[in-house]
Amino acid sequence: MTDATQSVPPLDSRRRDLEKHEVRVAEGVYPPTEEMLTRPIDPAEAKAQADRLRKVWDDPDGWRYWSAVNNSEVGVWYSMTAFAFMLIAGVLALVMRMQLAVPDNDLISADRFNQFFTMHGSAMMFLFAVPMFEAISVLLLPAFLGARDMPFPRLSAYGYWSFLIGGIFVMGSLLFDAGPTGGWFMYPPLTTIDEGIGPDIWLLGLSFIEVASIAAAVELIVGTIKCRPPGMRINLMPLYAWYVLVVGAMILFAFPPLIAGDFLFELQRSFDWPFFDPARGGDPLLWQHLFWIFGHPEVYIIFLPSIAVAAMIVPAAAQRPMLGYNWIVLSAVGTGFLSFGLWVHHMFTTGLPTISLGFFSAASEAVVIPTGVQLFAFVATLLAGRVKMILPMLWIAGALAIFTAGGLTGVMVALAPFDWQAHDSYFVVAHLHYTLFGGMVFPLIGGIYFFYPFIRKQKMSDRLGRISFWLTFVGFNICFLPMHLTGLKGMPRRVYTYPGDVGWDTLNMISTAGSLVVASGILVFAWDLVRPKGKLMEERNPWNAGTLMWAHDIPDQYWGVRSIPYVTSRNPLWDQPGIVERMDQGGYYLPDAQEGLRETIVTSAIDARPQLVARVTGPAWCTVWAAIFTGGAFIFPTFHWYPPAIVSAIGAVACVVWWLWTSTALIPENPMKDVGMGLRLPTYVSGPSAPGWWGVFITMLGDMTAFASLVFGVFFYWTVHPEFPPVGSDHANGVWIAVSAILYTVSWSATRAARGLNRRGAVPIAQILLGGGALAALAGAAAMMLGVLGLDPSSHVYPAVMWALAVWTVAHTGVGVVMQLYCLAGTMFGKVLPEYDAPVWNTMLFWHFMLITALVSSAVIGVIPRMM
Amino acid sequence: MAGHEKPDLPLHRSLFRMIASPTIWSVHFLFVYVTSALWCEKGWGEPAALSSVLTASTVVAEVLILLCAWSLWRQWDYSDDQDYIHDQSTDEHRREFLGHAGFMLACLSFVAVIFSTMPAWFAGTCL
Repeated sequence: MTDATQSVPPLDSRRRDLEKHEVRVAEGVYPPTEEMLTRPIDPAEAKAQADRLRKVWDDPDGWRYWSAVNNSEVGVWYSMTAFAFMLIAGVLALVMRMQLAVPDNDLISADRFNQFFTMHGSAMMFLFAVPMFEAISVLLLPAFLGARDMPFPRLSAYGYWSFLIGGIFVMGSLLFDAGPTGGWFMYPPLTTIDEGIGPDIWLLGLSFIEVASIAAAVELIVGTIKCRPPGMRINLMPLYAWYVLVVGAMILFAFPPLIAGDFLFELQRSFDWPFFDPARGGDPLLWQHLFWIFGHPEVYIIFLPSIAVAAMIVPAAAQRPMLGYNWIVLSAVGTGFLSFGLWVHHMFTTGLPTISLGFFSAASEAVVIPTGVQLFAFVATLLAGRVKMILPMLWIAGALAIFTAGGLTGVMVALAPFDWQAHDSYFVVAHLHYTLFGGMVFPLIGGIYFFYPFIRKQKMSDRLGRISFWLTFVGFNICFLPMHLTGLKGMPRRVYTYPGDVGWDTLNMISTAGSLVVASGILVFAWDLVRPKGKLMEERNPWNAGTLMWAHDIPDQYWGVRSIPYVTSRNPLWDQPGIVERMDQGGYYLPDAQEGLRETIVTSAIDARPQLVARVTGPAWCTVWAAIFTGGAFIFPTFHWYPPAIVSAIGAVACVVWWLWTSTALIPENPMKDVGMGLRLPTYVSGPSAPGWWGVFITMLGDMTAFASLVFGVFFYWTVHPEFPPVGSDHANGVWIAVSAILYTVSWSATRAARGLNRRGAVPIAQILLGGGALAALAGAAAMMLGVLGLDPSSHVYPAVMWALAVWTVAHTGVGVVMQLYCLAGTMFGKVLPEYDAPVWNTMLFWHFMLITALVSSAVIGVIPRMM
Repeated sequence: MAGHEKPDLPLHRSLFRMIASPTIWSVHFLFVYVTSALWCEKGWGEPAALSSVLTASTVVAEVLILLCAWSLWRQWDYSDDQDYIHDQSTDEHRREFLGHAGFMLACLSFVAVIFSTMPAWFAGTCL
């Protein structure tokens, strides 16, 4: 303990409402006094600290480099992989433009053209736009927050390897002429009757990548709310972090409906359960709903992170804090919400009632309000500041121009009567490329020019950047502006060729010429990105920006930050003089790694009060293996090879359990640790203060959304059918379903009781309850299967959807039982002790959601159909 | 009483309070969409009656949003110190920031709820 803690009376840093379950809480002085923040530092000791820190955070050497999990490495691999997929998808687009340059062209066949447009859209969305946001955020977010790393570094690595495997699998199908051909939204019945394996590759490959996306979203949300530096309250977060929070939450509510849809779709493709087959009561429109509940928020999931990049560049260009911070928060959160009310505007021509179309048309117009607010805030900041037209700002200016044009056509197609005319024509192609290029590609490239000095400690070429900008900007408009007219003149999208002399020839030729100009612009940028650039930069903050990121070290140090600062401003580098020097000297929190462990500080969600020294995981191969096995579990079923798929699934679970057991929630050598400036923090917490608890909570919110989508399916069928369930159909066995509900409740209660008993030291009783709970859960799952066993899922959609709910519940039970047994083993082998019980808290949290799933399934299977 | 002396309660640290009004918008939006889908599919009655049901739900939603807005306006406490920039690391600034952002979200949600009811007034038909 330092002198300071003895001379100052201990501060009550416990917030009773937040930390009521904690065995230990922070002790000592917080916030730090002025004297502590300016106390001289012994250079010899600082050097010893820095050496220890460097050793702990260093990357592995040689081939072991690929086992690294540091956000700085994974982020770079992730973004370069996404960029490579973007280039491949761009080449597909170029070939399509070549094919369409002249009428009646035969450069590529109709089938190949179908594969190319399907994979162009799918890859740009699933392999470039969303992963790129996650990659860039993994790379940059810890730096914005002055954190050492993300809270779950191995989860990022696992997400990356999953993405790489899934991406290669899906893109590789093109080489075997086996790619999906149904368009990026895979509408049934075209794709359910397709006899090739294309749709399976799309469904399983992309589901796998969606899982990786959700993993990254969990990581980013927890990083934003728990890994901010002390003092950075929620009103001081960089706007980038606000956007990450909003987009992470959107991913959580948008991706799961698609996963649920994929689940139903693949059950139909593999086992002939007729979810989308009208002959047996199914409905293709259900897929459209589930797809677009994902698909429209997706557009904003792509757009908001790019606006976040712009929100970082604009203040640096204007050399003043962002004007209207509150307004931008309002618009980010508001857009996040409203974007979920737009999905049916992709379905205006499906024959829904006029009044329904009206709601979505109105919401589509309403979303313009928050979107406009943030653009106005940018313009106001630029007007109020002294703008330096730095190169990144040029890209942002181009983005604003192009995006605004795309927004205006968006207002047009949001009106149902106009959409009926323009639907599925090149007008829509023009509109969506204006929004996505303006809303994603331009800000992204601007952002890379802006952040490159941070990432590689070198500057990209200003001259090449300007050449690339003008080629891309001009080429883009030559390519896509005429498409508005091509569309209004009636050319449908997704045709592999067209007859001459119907007024489309010249426009198509212009578009093709423009596409070559865009491609040359992107190539110039790609060359600038990868070319060798000689020696490192001299100055650390080339843009004179105000965020913590620019306190980075040159040459790079893997520790993230030398010491974790105490922050009192939105732009600490502008407003807190001497902060960078003090960080460098190790004058803030956690300047040392005495125990040889990777550590970062975890703070409270709203006020960023220090709560914990979190031990984060280091390099490992188990993440790579877990990704390979998970890949097997998704890829083998494409070819109907179920035994290897099951082996892979077991392997994946084993890898994850091994990874959790050996490296997370380790019993600390010392329950409290001195982190400097008179503050002592616990080294282990359980429950809502712990990042792991938040990880489970956020994952399960997403899981609940997927489950809700399945339940929505049941009520959807009830709505569209005059009789659902059909008269005289068999129901599930009510007795077995009731038994199942009771057993699940027993299992939940046992787990809940075990948590309290274990904490109070009654370990043997807790062990009996955990073991008994697991048995009750298995029995509950068996009872649920017995309940639906009498129904034939391929006969009609009603038994099929009951089976789907039961399968979903039973699969989750497997996870719940593994968690209960993990805790049981933990109490037996000293991994879980009465005061160190984080796994039990996380298991209990999972079981809250598990119980909801089981009870809702029981009600929907056993009770509700009898009342319908 | 000056802003920094006012009590700082757990509810003043709640992000969920800030997003309460857009959540009301979401629930209302789902309600109007589902109700009219069922109304049209199941033939529950005249479009005019549907329009009244939806308008009634809108009144309820707007009252709830106004209640949120009022309590967030008090949390923002603008009339006390005319403070609309909340850029310091203090309880007061955080409290007023969440109140301010939440209040503006309530205003946006108020308008958005009207947007999502207008089709019932101008296009209230199941055709």
